[in-house]
Amino acid sequence: MKAPFRALLFLAPLMLAFAASPAAAASDTSSSSPSVAALWKERTACVVAVEYTVKTEVDRREVVSYGTVVDHQGTIVLPPMAINLRFAPNQLTAFKVFLPGDAVGAPATYLGLDPMSGWHFVRAGASQLSRLRPVTDFSPTKPAEPGLDEHVWGIALRGKDEDFLPYLLSSHVSLINNLPQPTAIAQQEVASPGLPVFNRAGDFVGIALSSFGQSFVEFSRNERSGLPLMLVNVEESSAFLVASECLPQFLRIPTNVFGRPIAWLGTYGLEPVDPDVARFLHIDNQSAAVVSEVLENSPAQKAGLQSRDIIVAINGKTLPRFRPDRVVTSYIEREVDRHRPGDSLELTVLRNGQRLELKTTLADAPTLEREAPRRYFERLGFTARAFVFSDAVARRTSFANATGVIAHFVKPDGPAAIAGLQTGDWIKEIDGVEVKTYQEAVDRLAAIEADPARTEYVLLVARNGDTSIIRVKLK
Amino acid sequence: MPPTGRILRWLGVAMTAFALLTGLATSAHAEMSRGFRRLMDAVVRIDVREVAYEAGTQQYSYSIGSGVIISKDGLILTNAHVVSPRAIEISVTLASLERVSAHLVGWDHWTDLAVLKLDAAEVARRKLTFAHARFGDSDRLYVGEDVYAVGTPHGLSRTVTRGIISNKDRYFQDNYAVRGYETGAFNTWLQTDAAINPGNSGGPLVLSNGEVIGINSRGYIGADNLGFAIPGNVAKAVAQGLVAHGRITRSYAGLVFGALQDLERFYDLSVNTGVLVNSVDVGSPAAKAGVRGGDIVLAIDGVKVDGRFPEQLPPIQARIAALPVGSTLTLRVKHGNEIRTVSLVTERLESRVGEEYAFVKWGVSVRKVSRTYARENQLPNDVGMLVIGIQPGFPADVAGLARGDIITSIDQKPITTLAVAKSLYAGYERKPAPTLVEARRDRTVSLYVMKP
Repeated sequence: MKAPFRALLFLAPLMLAFAASPAAAASDTSSSSPSVAALWKERTACVVAVEYTVKTEVDRREVVSYGTVVDHQGTIVLPPMAINLRFAPNQLTAFKVFLPGDAVGAPATYLGLDPMSGWHFVRAGASQLSRLRPVTDFSPTKPAEPGLDEHVWGIALRGKDEDFLPYLLSSHVSLINNLPQPTAIAQQEVASPGLPVFNRAGDFVGIALSSFGQSFVEFSRNERSGLPLMLVNVEESSAFLVASECLPQFLRIPTNVFGRPIAWLGTYGLEPVDPDVARFLHIDNQSAAVVSEVLENSPAQKAGLQSRDIIVAINGKTLPRFRPDRVVTSYIEREVDRHRPGDSLELTVLRNGQRLELKTTLADAPTLEREAPRRYFERLGFTARAFVFSDAVARRTSFANATGVIAHFVKPDGPAAIAGLQTGDWIKEIDGVEVKTYQEAVDRLAAIEADPARTEYVLLVARNGDTSIIRVKLK
Repeated sequence: MPPTGRILRWLGVAMTAFALLTGLATSAHAEMSRGFRRLMDAVVRIDVREVAYEAGTQQYSYSIGSGVIISKDGLILTNAHVVSPRAIEISVTLASLERVSAHLVGWDHWTDLAVLKLDAAEVARRKLTFAHARFGDSDRLYVGEDVYAVGTPHGLSRTVTRGIISNKDRYFQDNYAVRGYETGAFNTWLQTDAAINPGNSGGPLVLSNGEVIGINSRGYIGADNLGFAIPGNVAKAVAQGLVAHGRITRSYAGLVFGALQDLERFYDLSVNTGVLVNSVDVGSPAAKAGVRGGDIVLAIDGVKVDGRFPEQLPPIQARIAALPVGSTLTLRVKHGNEIRTVSLVTERLESRVGEEYAFVKWGVSVRKVSRTYARENQLPNDVGMLVIGIQPGFPADVAGLARGDIITSIDQKPITTLAVAKSLYAGYERKPAPTLVEARRDRTVSLYVMKP
């Protein structure tokens, strides 16, 4: 989800320009409709705070995020940044849902993430169901589309120390753009990220995304020329994904915590083609992307896609022109994500000036880092994790015959850290013996850990293509 | 047998004790001072103007170093970091305070040595005279021996400083130390406490009798009395090679050794045996032969190796390097509990730093991707040139190219050699037109259009 965020940063100056222009007069004149305050009060039942605990090898931390209720079963969606994907699902524990204004939460269940939207799904416990209202209750059959200059308002929540008290934010829409999903940008913050936005009539118009950076220049006594700064409001956001785009995603409730199956094409490094290059290649008025690498044994490779091919159309549909250019890469990724493994996806590519049609059959993605088995060895001072496909990609090596395990975590000042082991080191041998599989490695390490007579052990690790011997002293 | 230097010094002391009593002592002292005077007449100051390509255009810079004349016909030994192939004007100041121009005969960044030659015609025309220094035997130095450094520190010509040999076998391997080139893999260094400052580089380290036993080359910035010199015997051999061939050709196997330190017992090795293979360069002869990081090399071509300490690595590396390119190298390798013999054919050793050039009208300066650079950076091949400088506002900058990008093709022609790029550039110079550039940044491939 990095790309859309960056795209939003791009828009910051644009938004400021809108903010500077004199705002049009408020358009809500109807006196018969209920007040915003009344609508707001009723709709605070659509929002919750979700707290969970991240267990790491050496500590546990509580994390709070805000979510929106999307159905009558108490399903709650959290924005992508609510959970760091570096952690495996079994490290995420003690999910609790707090209703706005409540000091005490009730246990909830983490359902997993939807790989397409990146949203996480949590389900509230039965005890809270009667007090929750799905936001879909406030969506007309034909989803409300926010219009330019329309008055929109939303809900934000205070912190845990203030019992997650809800408060009201309101603004006017200044821009609607495809990033690549239709996104509305208001003049000011309209909701906490992950919480819903409504129009004057109280209809659901979208969900606030993570906020984006705004450019400022800071002047000080010493720095009179002004220091450019970018500020991001992490508590409130002025950008929201429009309702027609959100509603279908509410239905994508994962059936497992990993969000499997995950459609996979197997390209690496999609780079947007800028307008100058597009004109040069005679592909004006559309977006396109260069494929930097085609990953081993991937559907893309099997279909004959090559490094440097330029993707110009998917399933016969020319890639629409996006501003900024960079949005095209997330567009292509979403096109893949909205499919299922086994589906075919036709790519039209430009190769040496020739147009080629390639038919790919998407596969289920190889095991992800967060799915990989791992085990922490307290006495040795590190966590060994199975070597997965993305490890091979990151190290530019073939996955097919890779052996060994990854040092997923190295305890600071622990024996392994003192000996020089670093997070991300690729352990290939333990005590001079090659470890072919994760199980072999874990068995060896467990034996060392359990042997009180052991005073040292030796690892052969690869780091940045270099191999070195690390001798770890125990005791 | 005690080294001659010690005898001479002892005799020097004797001379003061029995002042003028023995003719032997006087003549020894006289000989010593004659030797030193002769050396002083052979030490030169070197002023260099050179071209740099880093900023997306050609820039000129100027520097000063030292050198020592080593032959009657005016060959001068100095450091590779003082005079490199980038030099476009070399001016030598002789002891007689005459300035003569010189040209580069050859350089070898691995040992940080370069050989220059005085312009013979100019020397003859102006009837210039100079002395040349004699080499001593640097293998016979002892720690604590008195030595003198002669050179031009900070431009102060003809400065002599005194110290002792602090260590004879200092190990320094550095991948970027000589103007971004690799150095130190094949020799150890002499360490001295004689003051060595910037500008001393290339000057000789000598005994009291004026015999050259080292070429001063580096000091620790910010440290006192930690100076380093290339041993005279290494310098002598490299100078001969450079005079004969203009370059030193070495063999390459792709083995990166590490000191075994105290791991012999762990690897179950007999005493004083083996050297650790720290890593193996991707795609190198050693990699193809199946040698892997963590292996122990027990013998090279049947000769036992001992690489327990870092200073023992250069001689091992030098042994491989000294083989003719294309030699078959037989290694006895211990891998886990298994000992096997592997053979590999050596390649020519190549620097990671390729040829540099500036395409002035594009506003981009580049360095050809070498085979070594490609392997080190895990590039698929050595096609392309690394952008080392961008001139703001010029076509390459406007198109979005940046330092660190690797230009892989121009107008869809792969940049297999710098000549390909130069000919495309020549076409652009004749008739400027939008030019399509494909470049790799980290691992992504992007296209750019450079517009006139």
